[in-house]
Order: sequence, then C-alpha cells, then structure tokens
Amino acid sequence: MNTKKGQKGKDIFGKILGKYGIYVALILMVAVLAIITPSFFNTQNFINVLRQISIKAVMAIGVTIVIMTGGIDLSVGSVLALSAVIATSFSTSDNPHPLAISLLLGILVGLVCGAVNGFCVAWLKVAAFIATLAMTTAARGLAMIYTNGRPVINILPEYTNIGNGFVGAVPIPIIVMVVVIVIAVYLMEFTKYGRYIRAVGGNEQAALVSGINVKLIKFSAYAIAGATCAIAGILLSARTMTGQPASGEGYELDAIAAAVIGGASLSGGVGTISGTVVGMLILGVLTNGLDMLGVSSYYQQVIKGVIIVAAVLLDRKKHSNE
Amino acid sequence: MKKRCLAGLLSAIMVFGLLAGCGSSGTEEKTEGESTTKEEAGDKDQITVACTWQDLANEYIMQLAEVAEAYCEEKGYQYVSADGQGDADNQVSQVENFITQGVDAIVLNPYDKDGCIPCAQKAAEAGIPIVVVCTQLSDLSSATAFVGSNDVEAGEIEMQMVADAIDGKGDIAVILGPTGISAQADRSQGIQNILDKYPDINVIYEESANWDRAEAMTLMENWLQTGKTINAVVAQNDEMAIGAYNAIAAAGKQKDIPVVGIDAIADALKSVEEGGLLCTVFQNAKAQSETAIDVAVQAAKGEKVDDWYDVPFELVTSDNVGDYK
Repeated sequence: MNTKKGQKGKDIFGKILGKYGIYVALILMVAVLAIITPSFFNTQNFINVLRQISIKAVMAIGVTIVIMTGGIDLSVGSVLALSAVIATSFSTSDNPHPLAISLLLGILVGLVCGAVNGFCVAWLKVAAFIATLAMTTAARGLAMIYTNGRPVINILPEYTNIGNGFVGAVPIPIIVMVVVIVIAVYLMEFTKYGRYIRAVGGNEQAALVSGINVKLIKFSAYAIAGATCAIAGILLSARTMTGQPASGEGYELDAIAAAVIGGASLSGGVGTISGTVVGMLILGVLTNGLDMLGVSSYYQQVIKGVIIVAAVLLDRKKHSNE
Repeated sequence: MKKRCLAGLLSAIMVFGLLAGCGSSGTEEKTEGESTTKEEAGDKDQITVACTWQDLANEYIMQLAEVAEAYCEEKGYQYVSADGQGDADNQVSQVENFITQGVDAIVLNPYDKDGCIPCAQKAAEAGIPIVVVCTQLSDLSSATAFVGSNDVEAGEIEMQMVADAIDGKGDIAVILGPTGISAQADRSQGIQNILDKYPDINVIYEESANWDRAEAMTLMENWLQTGKTINAVVAQNDEMAIGAYNAIAAAGKQKDIPVVGIDAIADALKSVEEGGLLCTVFQNAKAQSETAIDVAVQAAKGEKVDDWYDVPFELVTSDNVGDYK
C-alpha cells in the first residue's frame, strides 16, 4: 500500500517536471541568480532582459512555426540583415521617407525571402536544410551588394525610436515582441491553421489524406518566418542605430536553441510558442546573470550548450512518461 | 522542368528587383566587377599590381581596397583584386593564380597570420615581390616588406586618453574584440602597457563583445545594472564603443562615464563631434594602401625597399575631429 502510494507520488512529480520542466528550470535559475547577484531581482533588470531577448524572440517564433512543420530555417540571420539594411536605407537623413515605407519595405523583403524558401521546400521538394542554407548565403550576399559592404548610418530618430523608445515605462521592442507572441499563440493554439501546421509536421501523409493543402501550409510557415526575421531586423537596426549587412550572424542558432529548449521537436509536429519564449527567456536570463557576475562569454557558450542538451533529455523523459 | 524554370524565374525576379531597388550603388558594383576581370589580360608595358584582401565584407578592408584601386588608376598601374572572404586558403589559391597570370607585384592583406604564410613563400619562389599590408604574418621572412600600423599603439593611445580623463584612478570596464586574433591581442597589450603605469586604475570588467555593437550594448546594460561604479569604458573598436555608449546614454550616465574606441568609423566620428565618445583612434587606410602599392612597385622595378613601413595611428578627439570627416 505504502509503496503504491509512493509510486503514485513519484509519477505526479515526474509528470509535473515533464510538463512544466522548462518553467521550473527558469524559476530555479531566476531564484539562484537573485540570491547570488544582488541587483538581479528588480523591475529594471527584468525590463532589460525582456528588451535584450525581444529581437531574437520575435525571430525564434517564426523559426518555431517552421520547425513545427518538420522543417528548419537556417537563413534567418541573413534575412534579418537584408531586411534591416533595406529598411534603414529608406530612413536615413540622406534618403528620408515616411517611416511606414521603410518598415513595409523591410517586412516585404523578409516575406519575399521566406516565400522563396517556402516555394523551394514545398513545391520544388528541396530539403529545407539545403534551401534555407542557399538563402543564407544569397541573402547575405544581397545585403553586401546593396550596401557595398558598408553599414547604413545616419538613421532618422523616428526609426531608431522603435528600438530605444518607450510607451509609458515599457520599451517599444518589448511591446512589439508581446504583440507578435499574442498573434502567434492565437494562430497556433486557437485556429485551424495551428492544427494544420502540427498535422503537417506530425504526419505529412496523413495530413495530405485528410485534405490539408500541405504545400500551402509549408509555404506559409516559411513566409511567416521571413516576416518575423524582418521585424527582428528592424528592431535590431533601430536599437543599434545602424543597418549592418553583417548583422544577425549566428542568430539562427539561438532561435533554434530556444525552440528546442522550449520543447519543439526537430522532427516536426511538436512545439509551442510559449515554450520557445520561455526557452529564449532562459537564454536571456543566463546571459544577463552571468554578465553581471563577470563570467566570460566563453564559459557562457559552454553553459548554453549544456542547457540545450539537458532540455532535450528532459523532453525525451516527458515523452516516455506519456 | 516547368517547376524548375518557374523557380529560376522567381529568384531572378527577386534579384533584379533588389538590384533595381538599390539604384546606383548596385550598378556601380557590377561595373567594378567587370573591370577587374578585363584587366586580368594586362598589356606588356604596364605594371600589374595584384591584391588579395582578407575579407571585403569588412568595412575597413573595403576602404583599403577602394584606395588601392583609385591609387593604381592614378598611377597608371593595372589593378587586379581578389577577395579572400575570411579564409586563408582562398588567399593562397589567389596568390597562386596571380603567379600564373604573371603579375608584377602582389599586395597581401592576410586574414590569418599563420595560414597565409604560404602566400609569401610561393610569391618568393616565383620571384614576385609581395608586400604585406595592414594585418601581420607571423613569419615575414619570405615577404618583401610589411606596411601597417601597430595595434599595440592604438591600445596605448586610447588607454592613455582614459587614464588622463579619470586622473589616473578609478574602476574601468574593457570590452574586447574576439579573442585569438592579432588585433585584439595587440590592442589588449597596448592597454596593459598603460595600465602598468597606473596602479590606481582597476579593470573590474573585461569581456569580449566580438566587435559587435548589439552585443556590447547588452553587455554594458548588464554591467550598469549591477550598480557598481564604472568610471570609464575602453572598447577595442568603435562599434562596441558606440554600443556601450548607447547603453550608458539610455541610463542617463553619459556625463559620468567616458567611452573610447578605435577605428574612426563614420558613426564614431559623428559621436565624437557631438560630444558622445571621448575619442577614437584613426587608422590611416589611405596611407597604408598607397604605401603598400608604392613599395610593391618599387620592388618590382628592382629598387631597394625597407622591410617595415610604420603608418602611425592618430588620436581623434573633439578638437581635431573636423580633419577626419
């Protein structure tokens, strides 16, 4: 009797850890950092962390949707840079245009790059890894050609305000991030579209048989990812007050890492927007805390690696529980 | 087949759309590319100078290349250019190609101080003078000459400026370039040389932000958040200096924490002029590139040249920033 009860308790604990593992991990991390770093636990620092992760979080949301279809998008960093240089170039003191034009052009460029990725993957059946790898180098090259290898500077204040301004006490990048999260959560959790995305990633054949337009769904996922990269590019260039053709390098790794930490499976069908956001928070809190402790970025990279593997192991445990 | 054509068409439309969008800068780029290939033929009397650049995606290297091209045109030399794209192997192949083409002189801007040594050896074996510019080779014995600036000096200049600004005492933060490359190591050495003279200056934070503005900004915000007093920030390039400055300005502390950088990029000059960054350090791309070509051509004509040409770094403050714009 006793042993049975103990067994049951352990099961519940295992289930909680399995289901909410990353949330528990985040809370633990915050608690530890709050104890060892006096200035960590306060509103100002939380605002800092949220603003610091906002750019990559927006991008990671697009990547998560692609991953949920069973695909991958390696081109996000390059598409970010291309969108950023094009958007900024229409908002400089030498080439001033209304802000809306810069932003729309930037987002359009991201959307087109994403659409090309999606077209190659969905209709031409190019492996996602290859198609988006091709876009990685092509978009980077186009960003270099467009700017002649030089950063875009003298950006107008209304543009840089997007990265550095506030609404009330809340930085604009955080607001943008929250809006993107809300839209994405609605789309993925409360609409047919979200179910279709998961269905395509979970079992493409079954999705096809049940009448889902698999190609269109895949295409749309890459297009959305392209658009989120563009938004991230606009935020980054506004925050740093320059459009740099070399920016965003390596961002795809952080985006994929956040999705994986958040429970997305690279074989598709599984993943949540909220998980990815928490994954990004874990990475952001880690950088913030370790910077404040004066830990070298080289150690930080190693710790990041350990966390990614730990998250995957935790995830596997969750599935074996189910 | 039909699908492939469609894909080709789609990507072509995308590329042209972008090129058209960027107007004049895009077309200029194209003609530059063409002229480079045309010149490869070269005629007998004209001196041909071939340059391999470590990475033309780097703004400073781009400047060197532009100066070299303009200077060759001015002097009536044939200019051949190759982009190493951040890979020593590429540069070795490029030098081999130059040798096959029978160019008169080679200018090498090495990406890697060890990996590019074969470039110099191959040129020496072929009897073609090779001048190393801007970045170093760990073994210069096969090279004709080195033309460049000493990064140790840049570190010394910026650190001295900070030491004076804070009256030789206080707590500072140092933002490093990516560790393991010579510019970072040398600039750190220079900073240390000055710190040795000021025992009352403590480095309380020292971390890499990989030459990147956004990374430096995040780093600075996190340091400021600790509430520790930071009296000055020494960044090893301007991008990071501007990132740190932006974070400091957002916290309203720009009057209390002087920030310095190196490279004198356009944004930094603007900032120095507006009273933002305390100083930057100018590396003379024009002098480096022109001297390298002069030395290469002299050597090709059989004239005697020195082993080492130093192009000094120059301090840029609000007093003299006008001269550099």
